[in-house]
Amino acid sequence: MIAVISRKRFRTGWTAFIILFFLLFVILPTVYILSYAVTDWGSIDTYVLNDPEMMEMITNAIIASFEIAGIVTLIDIVVGLPMAWMLVRKDFKGKKFLDTLIDMPLAVPTAALGFSSAIFFAQTDLNVPFALNSITSPLLLIILLHVVFSYPYMVRSLSAILVQIDQTYETAGRTLGASPLAAARTITLPLFRAGLVTGIILCFSRSLSETGGTMIALATMNNVGFATGPTLIGDWKSNLVSNPDLAAPLAFVSILLIILSLILLVVIKLILMKVHLPMGRIWPRPERIFSRGLFPKAKDGLTVFFLVILVLIPSFFIFTYVATATPTSFDWGPFLDSLVYSFLIAGIVTVIDIALGVPMAVYIAKNRTGKISEVLDVLVNVPLIVPTAALGYSLGVFWTGQNLIPTWDVLLIILAHVAFTYPLVVRNVAGAVEEVDPAFEETARTLGAKPIQGFSRVLYPVIKSSILAGAIMAFTRSLGETGATQAVVADAMTAPVYIVTLIRSSDYYVAGLACIVLIIVSYVAMLALRYVTNGRRSN
Amino acid sequence: MPEVKLVGLKKSYGKVTAVNKVNLTVENGEYVTILGPSGCGKTTLIRMIAGIIRPTEGKVYIGGKDMTSVPIEDRDIGYVFQNIALFPHLSVRDNVSYGPRAKDLDQEEQGQISKKYLEMVKLLDKMCMFPSELCGGEQQKVSLARALASGSKLLLLDEPLSALDSRVRVDLRYELRRLSKELGITTIHVTHDQEEAQSVSDRIVLMRAGTVVETGTPEELYVHPRNIFTANFIGETNLLEGWVKEVVGGTSSIELRNGGLVKVAQTNIKPGDAVVISVRPEFVFAANEGMKATITDITYMGTYWRIMASTEDDEEVSFDVTTMDGNSLTIGKELYLAINPKTAVLYPKPEDGVEEAIKLE
Amino acid sequence: MPTVKLIGLKKSFDYINAADGLDLEVHDGEYLCLLGPTGAGKTTALRMISGLLTPDEGQILLDGKDCAHLEVEERKAALLSQTYALFPNLTVEDNILFGLNIRGAAAEVKERVLINMLDLVRLSGRSDAFPFELSGGMQQRTALARALASGADLLLLDEPLRALDARLRISLRVELRSLVKTLKMTAIHVTHDHDEALVMADRVAIIRNGRILQVGTPEEIWDNPATPFVANFVGQCNFFTGEVLENEPYTVLRTKDGMLLKGRPSKLPKGSEAVLGVKIGNTDVSKERSGYMSAKVERIIFEGRNLHCDLMMDNGHRLSAKVPSWKRGKVSVGDKVNVSWEETKGAVFPMPAGGLEQELKVE
Repeated sequence: MIAVISRKRFRTGWTAFIILFFLLFVILPTVYILSYAVTDWGSIDTYVLNDPEMMEMITNAIIASFEIAGIVTLIDIVVGLPMAWMLVRKDFKGKKFLDTLIDMPLAVPTAALGFSSAIFFAQTDLNVPFALNSITSPLLLIILLHVVFSYPYMVRSLSAILVQIDQTYETAGRTLGASPLAAARTITLPLFRAGLVTGIILCFSRSLSETGGTMIALATMNNVGFATGPTLIGDWKSNLVSNPDLAAPLAFVSILLIILSLILLVVIKLILMKVHLPMGRIWPRPERIFSRGLFPKAKDGLTVFFLVILVLIPSFFIFTYVATATPTSFDWGPFLDSLVYSFLIAGIVTVIDIALGVPMAVYIAKNRTGKISEVLDVLVNVPLIVPTAALGYSLGVFWTGQNLIPTWDVLLIILAHVAFTYPLVVRNVAGAVEEVDPAFEETARTLGAKPIQGFSRVLYPVIKSSILAGAIMAFTRSLGETGATQAVVADAMTAPVYIVTLIRSSDYYVAGLACIVLIIVSYVAMLALRYVTNGRRSN
Repeated sequence: MPEVKLVGLKKSYGKVTAVNKVNLTVENGEYVTILGPSGCGKTTLIRMIAGIIRPTEGKVYIGGKDMTSVPIEDRDIGYVFQNIALFPHLSVRDNVSYGPRAKDLDQEEQGQISKKYLEMVKLLDKMCMFPSELCGGEQQKVSLARALASGSKLLLLDEPLSALDSRVRVDLRYELRRLSKELGITTIHVTHDQEEAQSVSDRIVLMRAGTVVETGTPEELYVHPRNIFTANFIGETNLLEGWVKEVVGGTSSIELRNGGLVKVAQTNIKPGDAVVISVRPEFVFAANEGMKATITDITYMGTYWRIMASTEDDEEVSFDVTTMDGNSLTIGKELYLAINPKTAVLYPKPEDGVEEAIKLE
Repeated sequence: MPTVKLIGLKKSFDYINAADGLDLEVHDGEYLCLLGPTGAGKTTALRMISGLLTPDEGQILLDGKDCAHLEVEERKAALLSQTYALFPNLTVEDNILFGLNIRGAAAEVKERVLINMLDLVRLSGRSDAFPFELSGGMQQRTALARALASGADLLLLDEPLRALDARLRISLRVELRSLVKTLKMTAIHVTHDHDEALVMADRVAIIRNGRILQVGTPEEIWDNPATPFVANFVGQCNFFTGEVLENEPYTVLRTKDGMLLKGRPSKLPKGSEAVLGVKIGNTDVSKERSGYMSAKVERIIFEGRNLHCDLMMDNGHRLSAKVPSWKRGKVSVGDKVNVSWEETKGAVFPMPAGGLEQELKVE
C-alpha cells in the first residue's frame, strides 16, 4: 500500500485530482453565475435595467451592504487593534480568560447572534430588562450586529501577525531613545501592514456576506423595506417558484456582489501595500507623555469596555431574554429535525474539507515558489471574499443546470457549504505547514521514510492542532450558515433557517429557546471534537 | 560619565533563578566581557542593565545614578542585538539615523550623524540599501553604527558576533575593540566564545549558573585561573588527578593515579591533599623522563601539531609540538612527557568530581 | 561501503549559481569537510547528494553508480541538519529508532541498536526525554544517534556544531569524529569554521561560488593553499604584492617600495606581478633578529596561547602577527620590531584577475 502511493506517478495523479476537485467543485460553481451576464443579458436588460423600481431596490441594497462592511471594518480596527496589542504584548492577570472570552462569539451561530444582539440593541416591544432598547435605524443595528461577530476575526488575525513580529525591533527602537508609543508607531506598525490587510479583508467580506443574523435582526425590529444584498437574494430565492421573473434580478445582484467584492479585494490590497504614510517623524515629548501613566491604562480600560459592551453582552443577551420572558408552548419536533439536519450537513462538510483541503494546503505550502501554487493561493481566497448568498445562488444555478450530479437538496447544500468552508481549512493548514521547518520531513526522508510516511509520522503530528482549528471553524461556519443555504435551496430547513422562520412569524420566545439550544449544542460539539482529537493522541 | 555598577542584582522566574546576586563595577571607558556557557544568566544580566528586564532584587547604577526603575529609552545606552534586529522596512541610512530621529533632531543633523558613523564602519557606500541586501557582517556593522549614532557613551553588546561566519567573526572582533577604544566608550559585551572574549576585553567576567565565577584580565584568567572551571573554560587544559606527596622548597611533588610523579611550583598545600593539576597543552613537552605515554592521535593545527597521548596513569594528555618537530611523531609511538612546573596550577580536588566541576552544560 | 563522486554538478536558483561545475570525490570511510563561507553552495551540494535537490546538470555517483533515479529514502544517506530537526513529538528513544520503525525492524534488533546508540552518545539515562527537555549538546548527540541508527552508510552533516557554545564545540569535535570513525561510515561535513575543518577532516574541500577551489589534507590546505582566498580563509594572512625577481630555489618578490620578500619556489615567470601570502601565525616579530621589514607595534592582544600583534609598517600599511605568548614582555606597544618568516611559509600566487581585494572577500 505504502509502496503504491509512494510512486511518483500516483503522487502526481493525486495532486491533479485534488486541484481538479478544487477547480470544479469550489471555484467554478462560485463564479458560474457571471456567465449569466453573457448568455442571458436580454433578461437582465428586461427585468432589471428597464425596471427603475427594481434598479433602485438593488442599488440601495448593494450600497447599504458595502457601507455597512466599510464602517464595521473601521470600527473593528479601532477597537480591535488595541485588544490584539494587549493580548500579544502585555502580561497581566486574567489574560488567558480574556483570550477565551474573545473567541466565544465565534462559536455562536450568527442566527443566534443576530437575535441576541437585536433584542439588546434595537427598540422592540419585548420589554427585556437591561436591554438598551433604543436603536431604531436598521442600518445602525446591522452595523452593530456585524461588529459583534466580526470583532473576534479582526482581533485574531491582527494578533496572529503581531505575534510573528519580533519584539526585538521595538526594543531596539527603545534603546535608541524612542518612547514605547513612538517605537510601536514607527517600527511595528509599518511591519504590520500585511496583517492589517488580512484582517480588513476578512472582516469586510464576512460583513458583506452575512445573511442569517441580518435577516433575523431586521425581522426582530419589524423592519420592512431595508435590505442588504444577501438578504435580497434570500428573500427573492424563496419567492422564485411563485415568481420566475426574479431569476434575472437574482442573477444580477449575485453578479454585482461577486464582481464588486473581488474588485474591492484587489483595491484594498494595492492601497494598503503600496501607499506609504508619512509617519516617520517622532515627537519625543508628546509621545512620551502618551506612553506612560494614565493614557495607556485608559486605553486598555476602554478596549475591555468595548469588548464587553459591543461584543460580549450582545452575544449572550439572549439568556437574559429567555430567563425573563413569559414561556409559550412549543412543539420541539421540527426544530430538533432541523438541528439534526444541520449537524449532518456540517459533519459531512467538515469531513470533505479535511480530506481534500489538507492535501491542497500541503501542496500550496510546499510549492510556494511554483506558478501553479501561486495561482491556487489566490483562487483559494475567492470563495472567502464572495458573499455566501451570491455564492449559493451561483452554485445552485450551476449544478441544477448540469446533469452531472443528482440535485438532491442535501447534496446541493453540502456542496455550497464546502465551497465557502474549504478555503478556511486550506488557509489555516497551509499557514501551519509553512511554519514547520522543512528540515523535519527532509531528515525523515534521509532516514528512509517514504513521502507519505514523512507526512503521517512527522508533519501530521505537528500540524494536527491547526487541522483541528480548521475543522472547528468549518463546522461552526457550516452550522451557522443561512445565506448560502437559502440561496441554493429556498425551503431548506436547517436550524438557522428555521430560526429565521420562527422570528418572522413572531415566535420570539421559541426562537430564543432554539437559539440557546443551538449555542449549547455547538459548544458541546466543539468540545467533543477537541476531546476526540486529544484522545487519539494519547494512544 | 557612564561607569556601571550592579549591586546584588537578582532575577528569578518562578523557582528558577537566572541571575543570583551579582555585584559588578565596570569603569568608565572599560571594555568588559561577560562570558559563560548557555543558560549561565549572562543575557539576563545585560538585559537588566539595559532595562529590557526588570530585576527581582538589587540595583543598577549607570553614571552614578540609580537606573533600576528607569525605562529603556531614558537610560541612554547603545544596544546591539544577537539577531541584529535592523529595522527591515528602513534603509541603512534611516536605520542609523533612527536614534537622532527619536530625539527629533533636524533632518540635516540626522544626515550628518548617520554619515559619520557609517563612515566609521566603512559602509558609507551601502547607505541607500536595505538590510536584506547586506551580508551578515555588514548588517552587524550597521547595527553597531546605529547603536553608536544614538550618541550614547555606554555600549551593550549581546552576543554581537554569534550569528556570523567564523571567519567574519574573527575580523569583526578586532574592529569592535578598535571602535570602542577610539570613541572612548564603556562597553559591556556578552558572549559564550572564550576566544572572542580574550581578543576584545580589558576584563572578563566569567559566569556559571547565575553567579560570577571569576573576574580578571584575559591574561590573569588564562595564566592563573583561581577556579578549575575557569581553567578549562578559557583555553584548553589537561586536568590530572593526584595527591600531594611532599612539599619541598619551592615545589610540590604530586603523585598521579598509578604512581607517576609531577612537580609543580606551588606550595600552598600540604602532603596528602587530593589535588587536580591543570596544565595547558603548550606547556607539556616530550622529554627524556617523566610520564610514560603512548600517542593516540595527531592533528594538524596549522602552526603546530596537537598530539593526544594516554599516560600510564590512565590520563588523556594533549600537548603541542611545533610543525617541524611533528614529523617525527606517529600514532602508537611511546614517549615521556614532562611539564613545566611554573606553568601548572593546582586545585583541591572538587567534591563532586572533576567532570561535574567543569561541565559545560 | 560507499564512495561519493560528483561530476560537473550545476544548480542555479533565480540566476544565482549555487553549484557551478562541482567536481568532488569522497573515498570510502573518509571524513571530508566541505569548507566555505556562507553562500558558497555547501548546503546545496549536500542536498543534491541526499537527493533533496535535483541538479540541473551533472552526475552523482554513489558507490560508482549514477543515482539520479534514486529517491531520497533509497540513497542510504542520512542528513544531520544544523537545527538537528529532532521530531518534537517523539522521545529520544523514538527519535533514534525512527529509521528502524519505518522499515519495521524486529523488536530485538531495535532493542540492541537502541542500547548501543544510547551508550555511544552517552544518553542512556535520557531515553524517555523529549527533545525540548535536552540541552543543546544532548540534542545534537540524539540527532547524531538517530542518523547513525538509520542504517545509512553515508552521513551528511550540515554544520552539525554551529548551534552549540564555542567551548562545547571544541570538545565535541573530537568526539563526533571518533564516533563516525568507529562506525566506519563515510562522512561529508559542511562547515564555515576552518579550525573545525582542520581538526576533524581527513581531507578538506574548499568551496566558493559553487566551485571547489582545492581539496587536500589539512596540512596541504594550510601549507600549500591553491589561491590567496584559500590562504586567507583558512587562518588569516598578511599579503604583499610585487614583481617576481626569482622563482628558484625560492621566489623573490620586489614590492613597489623596494622590499625584497621571499616565499616558496614557484613557476611564476620573472617580471610578472604576484601575491605573497604569509599566515599571521607564521609571521614572526623580533627586536634583535633582522627581517624583511621593520614595523611599529600598535596593539598587542593576549589570546591565551598566542599574542595577537597589530603592526604598522613604515610605508603605512598594517600587518598582524600571532606569536607564542611566552614572548609577552619581549615585545610591547610602541616598539620597533623586525618582521620575518621562513621562506617555506610564504605562499606565492599569480595576481588574481579581479584584483586582490575582490579575491579575498569572505562574504
